[in-house]
Amino acid sequence: MLRRDFLKTSALGAAGLSLVGPGLISSAAAAAAPVHLTILHTNDMHSRIDPFPVGSAQWADQGGMARRAALIARIRREQPNVLLLDAGDIWQGTPYFNFFGGELEYKLMSQMQYDAATLGNHDFDNGLQGLEKQLPHAQFPFLIANYDFAQTPLKGRFQPYKVFVKQGVRVGVFGVGIEMAGLISDKNYGATKYLDPVAVAKEQAQHLRTVEKCDLVICLSHLGYKYDSAKIDDLKLAAAVPGLDLIIGGHSHTFLDAPTVVKGPQGHQTLVNQVGWSGIKLGRIDYRFDRASGRKSVAAAEALSINASALS
Amino acid sequence: MSAFPFRSAVLVLLLAATACQRGGYQPKAQLTDTAHLVGAEQPADPQVEAVVAPYRLKVKQQMDEVIGRAPVAIRKNPGESPLANFAGDVQRERAARELGQPIDLGVMTNGGLRAELPAGNITIGSVFELMPFENELVVLDAPASVVQQLFNYAAPIHMAISGATYTATPEGKPVDIRIGKELFDPEKDRTYTIAISDYLAGGGDKLEFFRPLAPRHTNVLLRTVFQDHIRQLTKEGRPVEAQAEGRVKF
Repeated sequence: MLRRDFLKTSALGAAGLSLVGPGLISSAAAAAAPVHLTILHTNDMHSRIDPFPVGSAQWADQGGMARRAALIARIRREQPNVLLLDAGDIWQGTPYFNFFGGELEYKLMSQMQYDAATLGNHDFDNGLQGLEKQLPHAQFPFLIANYDFAQTPLKGRFQPYKVFVKQGVRVGVFGVGIEMAGLISDKNYGATKYLDPVAVAKEQAQHLRTVEKCDLVICLSHLGYKYDSAKIDDLKLAAAVPGLDLIIGGHSHTFLDAPTVVKGPQGHQTLVNQVGWSGIKLGRIDYRFDRASGRKSVAAAEALSINASALS
Repeated sequence: MSAFPFRSAVLVLLLAATACQRGGYQPKAQLTDTAHLVGAEQPADPQVEAVVAPYRLKVKQQMDEVIGRAPVAIRKNPGESPLANFAGDVQRERAARELGQPIDLGVMTNGGLRAELPAGNITIGSVFELMPFENELVVLDAPASVVQQLFNYAAPIHMAISGATYTATPEGKPVDIRIGKELFDPEKDRTYTIAISDYLAGGGDKLEFFRPLAPRHTNVLLRTVFQDHIRQLTKEGRPVEAQAEGRVKF
């Protein structure tokens, strides 16, 4: 599965290069052309299909998936490359979930062309069976690296990460979820195993950096932004795991006006962003990618040789 | 570059190269409007609206479904209230059924009940307004000392506890507490079962003394408990009724 994905994405990357013609790496002009990528993200949408009612005490007339869809469509028209991601707790909070079990949420996210989501604790609210039942409505993958579903009926239905290739830029996205015990009813997660998010994130980041040769590594997290206790949160994860560029968070319903910058273990800076809940806000981080110079061009050549061999 | 309102200079963060091996590109984050409000000024996408419309109609139809009838509104008020008595009794009855054992007490605070049940038709929507939260019915096994703290909490506000009666003194102390018919002795070495929401069991509404107790789950939402009870009454041809009947004397 991983191998096939890798070959496919590599082939796409190489195809993109072949359009430009040979000698790309040696061409200063081509190397100078930056690639732009827009990351759009949501978290904890909690079945808020319609905007909050006009008479609500808080958030009156804010949010709404049809409005978000129009906003995203506009950004897609303006930007060459967009990744649309969600950090979990898609479900629970309005009668739409009580009555339809999450079907509409997944359908609308598919219509908006979400690229990936991770699992939040409330996505287990109808048990593993309830999740399995709705998965066919989601035309996007769920990425979760620290839940082991091997002993459950959902074995093989999720993947730890996915690599997206945009104009040759490789973006690795993986997901981590919160500890289930004490938060989710036992019967709703069954034999799903929770693995230490720090250890798992270290493995994922390392794998995405080296084997997958990613230019950008993003973690979709449903751990929560910050706890005063020792409980793992996004800020602690960023400080503990080398090689993370961006953590898109959830669970704590934290509204951040700007991403928090955290210094990682090797001086690498990680951005942590989260946009509250209920789709009141749409998160956005823009990246500009420049061809790496000096030593970095070695890495570029290596990547190219792999692409070339994948085509043959 | 974009229609986002760029209200300030673009903040460019150059992410330092690390010891980690990277691909061929160096990312720079450009932070402009990183939390864009989805507000009323944003027109809706008509195609998404079209997908939502039939679901919205079904939600409305289901919310409007009549599941019972109340001859008079079931009100809440400070002190012993018909609505809190109704909730506490129904919780106790359902918890007993779910766990297959008698439940001594049922606890619901006025703050946990978000709307009154109206006179006339009671709809699914009425029950959602009463209990919009995803609270689960749980059972606590409380030692007598914790039960005493519950009555100490209840007496100053004349709050009734399902399954019990007591007298509140003018100083707000509970006396002559009877659970079932039996006089309550805080020194007695026994536990009492309490049907309650997981929210209150976790110390919500300042019921801090419950926090150390491990709740037993029923895996039934409180909303479902009330909904099922009202449907059952209707099936038996009975109206939905509740009274403040002197569970708290003062």
